[in-house]
Parts: sequence; structure tokens; C-alpha cells
Amino acid sequence: MEGLRLFSELVLMPLVAFVVGMAMVLMMRRIAARLQRRIGPPLLQPLYDIAKLYAKTTQVSHGLIHDIGIVMAVGGYVAAEILLPVPGMNGIADKADLITLMYVMMVPSLGLALGVGQCANPNGSIGIARALTAMLGYDIPFVIVVFGVAWHFGSTDLIDIIGRQQAAGPGGWGIVQMPLLAIAGLWAMHASLGKQPFEIYVAPAEIATGPMVEMGGKFLGGLFVMQCFQFYTQAVLYVALFLGGGSHWIDLLVKAFAVVAIPMTIAFLFPRYRTEDMLRILWKWPVMLGLLGLAFVM
Amino acid sequence: MKRLEQIPVKGEGRGNPLARVFDELTNFCRSRSLFILHYCTGCGAIELPPAMTSRFDMERLGIQPMVTPRQADILLITGYVSIKTLKRVILTYEQMGAPKYVIGICSCTVNGGMYWQSYATAKRLDEYMPVDLYIAGCMPRPEAVIEGMRHLMRRIENGEARGWEDYYRRYDHYLGNQQALFGDDWQTPTDVIAEARHYGLLGEQTLGPHTELLQQVQRPLEALEMRLGHGPEHES
Repeated sequence: MEGLRLFSELVLMPLVAFVVGMAMVLMMRRIAARLQRRIGPPLLQPLYDIAKLYAKTTQVSHGLIHDIGIVMAVGGYVAAEILLPVPGMNGIADKADLITLMYVMMVPSLGLALGVGQCANPNGSIGIARALTAMLGYDIPFVIVVFGVAWHFGSTDLIDIIGRQQAAGPGGWGIVQMPLLAIAGLWAMHASLGKQPFEIYVAPAEIATGPMVEMGGKFLGGLFVMQCFQFYTQAVLYVALFLGGGSHWIDLLVKAFAVVAIPMTIAFLFPRYRTEDMLRILWKWPVMLGLLGLAFVM
Repeated sequence: MKRLEQIPVKGEGRGNPLARVFDELTNFCRSRSLFILHYCTGCGAIELPPAMTSRFDMERLGIQPMVTPRQADILLITGYVSIKTLKRVILTYEQMGAPKYVIGICSCTVNGGMYWQSYATAKRLDEYMPVDLYIAGCMPRPEAVIEGMRHLMRRIENGEARGWEDYYRRYDHYLGNQQALFGDDWQTPTDVIAEARHYGLLGEQTLGPHTELLQQVQRPLEALEMRLGHGPEHES
């Protein structure tokens, strides 16, 4: 019985994450449209895009590593979903902790690097070099933030962190207890979502969408799926660390969508930083805020 | 009374009873999600920004711009195609993933337009690649572009926009026209005949005198030489 429950959770958690992630992608595109005084895409547009890409007749593969790279990119996030506790489902979150989750969340970028490497397109290589440089930029504030939160709650167990915040009520939420770390975390999250002004590795007008340049059909579809997972993972992790998790699903979804909406609203007002400018700003302000927040926590 | 060509000779032998439902669903998704690659060769390009931005907003129809041929569904040729440009257009077209659609915007793609007397301009785009839709005008307004897009969406939904199959089935014809323009040693990096064979689209006119000529002159692709620093022309 226990095994069946675990199995159903392992199937359901990524599935729910995918559906919610598609809604988040839709929200992002709608926000962009409204900011530009457009109407924006219809309700099921992310689904149409993914279905269409998987239904393409021609699927141009550049080799085995190209295929495996995409599987790693999606699989890394699928693994992250089952480590993220949501209301009613803990998956295997009690067997792993925040550190494991952080490692797993880096797998997609590395998978993408592998896959793009075999495409042998110079734009793709530049794109992936920039993506890994960007990872170097946002992971340092992110690690500081995670360390601060873990120190504050005296645990790296996400179930434990959420439980303590919910027991203490809104006054005990991470965002009230550690506001500086919360700001640094939001900043790092914005950068890791890869939207403007931190869009250096996509840069459509400059390096032709970088890592995605040789991706067509199901490969691009896989990356679209990955983007859905990415939005969901980042948002739910932020909610778990700073906004007391979700006591029930509506609570969690409202918080998660609000968390994604903030960086997206900022994003579409800005153009793009250069790589060195992005690293400079990420290593200066979020790191400084994070270290200051860490000092208060300790 | 039905015309003879419209009566199917034999049904598609697909065992799955849900195949038809699946096909219709696929066609619907294809028609609602179109990624365009705009090859802006001429003046028609100026009508695309208003069609995409706040005034007419093509994204509400599921149409959005993409930047590489691999990602795109529609190749949008906006204006006259010079012979030099046409080579790039064909390279781009062959790299796109099927099902792919070509839209010719402006009179110049239909019949050469005001460049009719130019020796350097390809007059009719559909002699060199199958064109699914022409939007005539000099230049067509954004309303016309969007109306054309909606027409294409209807055709895709009904499964009628199959111009890309024609390129494989009648490759000899298209290649002949290309050779007439670019010379006998014309070749592209994409092996169209092998693709036609792979997708089961080898028609009676896929192979012919022109493909024979191609196979005689075809040289295997070589990797570009990798080197750091400046090329030989900069050495001094």
C-alpha cells in the first residue's frame, strides 16, 4: 500500500508540475503581451506549441549525445519535482534534502551543454558557454541564500522547513524573518529563469537563441517542457523557503504564481545585460544582500 | 459528381482506430502554433512589425517569430528575391523541419513585380520551392498578412497545406529550375533525395535528368577548417 502511494506520488508530482508550469509560461507570455499593450496568446497556447513540436515529421538529431542531452535536461527537473514537497505529496523529499535538490537543479544546464556540444553550431557553443557563465553568476547568491535559510531553521530538510514556518504562522515565514535573504533569493531566481535583463544565453537577435539554435521538433519541444518545469521548480522552491510552503493547493498556487509574476513583470521592461555586466551585478548586489542577511541570521 | 483524382485509390493502412482522431488533433495543434522565420528580403518586411506588435498582435493567433530554420514552421519571404538571395533561401528552406510552409508576400514573389525586367531577380518563387500561400500587394497591409495567415491556418487544419511533400515528390523539377539559374554545379548541404526516401515520399518525378547531373557533380561536405586568429587575407 505504501509502495503504491509512493509510486502514484512519483508519477503525479511531475505531471502536476508540468501542468502548473504550462500555466506559468502562459502567464509569462500574457504579462509580456499586456506590458506591450497586446492581447497575448490564447489559454492553451503552450500546449499547442509542445504538441505541434512533438508532432513534427522531420526530427533532425545530431547524434546520440544530442538526444541524451535533452533527456538529461528534462530528467533533471523531473527528479527535482519529486524532491519538492507539495501539499499532500512528499515524494522522496524525506530521503533527500535541500542540498540534493540544488545539485539536481544544475543537471539540466549540464545536459543542455552536452546536447548542444554535438550540434557543432558556433552560436550554440557561445550560448552554452554563456549559460554556464550565467550559472556561475546566480548560483553564488543562491547558495548563500540556501545556506542562510538552512542555518535559520537549523535544518536542510524541506519538509521540516515548511512545517516550522506553517506552525509559526505568517510572522515566522522566511520572508519576514530574513527579508534581505528573500530579496537576494528573488534576484537569483530571476537570473536563473534566464529572462531579461539576464537573458544573455538566449539572446535571439545576437546569437540566435544560443543553446536552442539547432533544436527543432521534439528537441525544441523537450526544451519547452523543461521551461515549464523550470518555472514550477523555482517558484515552489522559493515558496517553500520564504513563504511558508502551501497548507493546501490553492494557497501554494497563489503564492507560486505571485512569485513568478514579480520577476516577469520586471523582465519585459528591460533589454539585456552583457555577460560581464550580468556577472558584475550578480556578484555585487545579491551577494552583498545575501551576506548581510546571513550576518543578521547568524 | 466527384472528379476522378479525388477518389482515393486505397485508404491509408493504419491499424490504430484512433489514428484519424490523432491526426485531426495534430493538425489542429499545427494550425494553432506557427513559428515564423521571416527572411526579410525586400520592402514587405516593413509591414511585419505592426502585424506582430500591439496594433495587430499576431501572437493571439499563436503565430510568433523564431530565429533559426530548425525551429520554424513558416518561411516568410517578404519581397523580391535576387538570385544570390535565392540560394540562401533554398538552403534555409531545406534545413527546416517538415511540415513546413512557405509564404510569399508582395507582388515580387508572385511574378517579379517591379523587378520584372531585372536580370538579377528570380521572378516566380514557386519555380524553386513549393509556395503554400501568396499574399499579393505592393506592399500588402498587415490586415492582408493576417488574413493570409488565417487562410493558411484553415488549410493546415483541414490537412490541405502539403506543399512540402511536393518538394520531395517533384524534386527533379525544382532542382532543374535551380540549376538553370545557378549553374550545373549547384548543390546544397541537405541530401533531399535521401530525405525523400526516408520519409517515403519518393515520387515518380523525384529522380530525373537533373538529379543525375547533381549526383555527378556532388562533392561530399567537408568540415570547415578550425583556426584561431585572423584568416589568411589578414596576414601581412
